Amino acid sequence: MRILSVDDSAATRQFIKKAVDVLGFEFLEAADGREGLEILKRENGRIDLILLDRHMPVMDGMAMLEELKADDKLRMIPVTMVTVEVERAEIQRAIACGAKNYLIKPFTQENLIGKILEGLNIAP
Amino acid sequence: MISLEEFHLIRDYIEKHCGIYLSDEKVYLVETRLTALMFEQGCKSFRELYQKAVLDRTHVLRDKIIENITTNETYWFRDLHPFGILDEVLFKHYADEITAGRKDKIRIWCSACSTGQEPYSIAMTFREFMRENHRLRPDHIEITASDISSTVLFIGKMGRYDNLSMSRGLSEEFRDRYFVRGDKVWTIKDEIKQMVKFQKLNLQENFHHLGRQDIVFCRNILIYFSTEFKQNILRRIASLLRPNGYLFLGASESIIMYTQEYEMLRHAMGLYYQIKQNEEKHHAYSVR
Ligand SMILES: C[S@@+](CC[C@H](N)C(=O)[O-])C[C@H]1O[C@@H](n2cnc3c(N)ncnc32)[C@H](O)[C@@H]1O
Repeated sequence: MRILSVDDSAATRQFIKKAVDVLGFEFLEAADGREGLEILKRENGRIDLILLDRHMPVMDGMAMLEELKADDKLRMIPVTMVTVEVERAEIQRAIACGAKNYLIKPFTQENLIGKILEGLNIAP
Repeated sequence: MISLEEFHLIRDYIEKHCGIYLSDEKVYLVETRLTALMFEQGCKSFRELYQKAVLDRTHVLRDKIIENITTNETYWFRDLHPFGILDEVLFKHYADEITAGRKDKIRIWCSACSTGQEPYSIAMTFREFMRENHRLRPDHIEITASDISSTVLFIGKMGRYDNLSMSRGLSEEFRDRYFVRGDKVWTIKDEIKQMVKFQKLNLQENFHHLGRQDIVFCRNILIYFSTEFKQNILRRIASLLRPNGYLFLGASESIIMYTQEYEMLRHAMGLYYQIKQNEEKHHAYSVR
């Protein structure tokens, strides 16, 4: 399995990488939506799950999610949105736009592994 | 925000299904931990989420709600004393019984095992004991580890831990003896892994199928439960324990207020509990 983390915080990406390592999956990373889309192009869409930060410079999570869902080659990749605050309208919008699930910071490694397995449709 | 009425619906639902009691100050916790789930499930309010959970016969949604509420905090050899007591008192006692042919094996149940640190610490303690007591074999012990959360069990079964988890309570000596170093994570060796059987189990439900146990670990979990549920679980553990069986709690927990069925024992600086003999006959459960 190949997991892509798109997040402007290097610390968060590092935290996510640890959980992906524990699961024994492959980890790829990008610091904003633009870079994330570039990686997806480079990898020819061969990514099994995207963990997407809501707030980032250059291209934020919502904008990237919209681009993903408008692209026939990428729309099937499950997306887990990651955010700091519980903003009901935001969460609702992201889910309506096709995000698979949502992760609210701060989260533990167990929360994260639970969401990754859920995103990949793997029953623990 | 979640309304107080909705909070009470969800709170009662959680208590009914996993025993965890949330006081009114926990409104915020429910809001932060369950809002995402509510929308993921296509619900527009907590009332709808509650109704959907009640109707869901597969219990998938129930389990998701519970997983979002529980705390899985754990680490290796937590509080140290229980493992010292195993090594210095209980394993010694049971080893004599086994070599005298009065006992087959030591049965231990770790009843809220989270990601595996507690049952694996018990297994490592036994391995260390075996190094000095050559009469014992790994099949002289049977460790059952259970938890309500499938995710933590999944992690426990993998037996893979990152550097941070490894650094919490584990000596370098044990790490090097019982783990294999990978380029990113450490994996527990098969000799330890094979000593622990993981299974999903909700303490709210009947656990008699586990069979009688010599020692039960029920640590850092009772604190989340209501008084009645604490009493209920302690009573059921008492009837699962073999005569003279032992119970370990978390360092900050006490059961004096909830039950008379156990006697408190002390060793070094640690506390543990033994089932009182005369109480035993009052239990209706049959001995397996
Ligand atoms: C704080 S951890 C304690 C782990 C370990 N016993 C220790 O002391 O380090 C509590 C664990 O209890 C589990 N739990 C909560 N409610 C439960 C229930 N009703 N039945 C079984 N396990 C439960 C949680 O999933 C969590 O992994």
